[in-house]
Amino acid sequence: MCVGLPAKVMTMKDGMAVVDASGAKREVSAELIENLEPGDYVMVHAGIAIAKITEEDEDEAEDLLEGLL
Amino acid sequence: MKEQLKKAKAIIEGYDGPAVRVMEVCGTHTHEIFHLGVRKILPPQVELISGPGCPVCVTPAGFIDEAIWLALEKNVTICTFGDLVRVPGSTRSLADARSLGGKIQMVYSPMDAFEYAKEHKDEQVVFLSVGFETTTPASCLSVKMAKEAGLTNYALLAANKTMPGAYEMLKDSADVFLYPGHVNAITGNALNRKLCEEGGISGIVTGFTASEILTAFAVLLKKFPEGKPFFVNAYPRVVTEEGSIPAQKLIKEWMEPCDSQWRGLGMIKNSGLRLRKEAQDFDARVKFSIPKMEGRTSPACRCGDVLQGKCRPTDCKVFGKGCTPLHPIGACMVSNEGACSAYYQYNSRGE
Ligand code: SF4
Repeated sequence: MCVGLPAKVMTMKDGMAVVDASGAKREVSAELIENLEPGDYVMVHAGIAIAKITEEDEDEAEDLLEGLL
Repeated sequence: MKEQLKKAKAIIEGYDGPAVRVMEVCGTHTHEIFHLGVRKILPPQVELISGPGCPVCVTPAGFIDEAIWLALEKNVTICTFGDLVRVPGSTRSLADARSLGGKIQMVYSPMDAFEYAKEHKDEQVVFLSVGFETTTPASCLSVKMAKEAGLTNYALLAANKTMPGAYEMLKDSADVFLYPGHVNAITGNALNRKLCEEGGISGIVTGFTASEILTAFAVLLKKFPEGKPFFVNAYPRVVTEEGSIPAQKLIKEWMEPCDSQWRGLGMIKNSGLRLRKEAQDFDARVKFSIPKMEGRTSPACRCGDVLQGKCRPTDCKVFGKGCTPLHPIGACMVSNEGACSAYYQYNSRGE
């Protein structure tokens, strides 16, 4: 039940966002994130977008190790 | 494999420092760590403990009893995450209640439960609100939407929990905690920093992809031998220092702290959330005057010891025999994210 999904925002309407999570389209609440726009990436959990994320996630994780060690 | 991943893997495999106990707090981490085969590349002196961060596993039997009572005695439609349906209550599960005529509806989110209530105004609908900081905002939002829509047939049976009390209680069970990234996405890092600075508890905020998990292990195995408590946010693409202010506000608006019963761990002070007095109309316990239910768990089940790292699932006498994912005796065998279920699933494949 706790799995979060990264997803891309397709459209926005009345505080709800239609997102694409690896090809599956879902409508989620955008209540917690200000100024969400189509094209943004979000982390979705239990029907709600909980955080905005950057698109190039894997690359960032790679640089991260360098920065943290 | 990409360069950095190779490097992380080399650090992990080459670890020759002192023995270290690492607790993954989050059930999704437990599952992913097995799935990615991380256990197989860890040197023997690194011990992994599966902590209590699977909401299903720590939901007490009494909570299931309350839900069953609502379904069977009050004809309430129960909306729930699917994982809870097979969790054993004192004498039966929600799946049993369903075969006795109880109306049990599976949903993916509290908002779906709200939608269901909106479309079925002739039914009383209760959402089983379990979960940690990550799930709680969605529950609160569903109440807010119900209020705005003027619904009088929607309520929560709340067993929401917060992690700080559990970290505090488990601090001697491990040397380093892998903190659940999505909890920190909501709460921010202040508490974890404080635990490190004042309590000497080391931890690392971790994401959920292969590279994020391997990176976290590489970092912790570099830092641990230095002998100083450390805190690292290894999931900065999602977790900011201050967390989600709108989510924190939303929770505060609808819920307040209370003591909470954790299956296997007992009562932990201030580790739960209940609806505020002003939101009582949406509190199933008030609305339906649910009688107090103590809840009993099977004496054979050692979930509590498993969650504290005192034993492994395989040390439980009924593991894989009386207790399997199809016929779980304890909650840790029910959800994919439970420690016993993860052990069962991967050991039975010979891994
Ligand atoms: S194997 Fe089953 S009974 Fe034993 S600790 Fe795990 S969940 Fe409980």
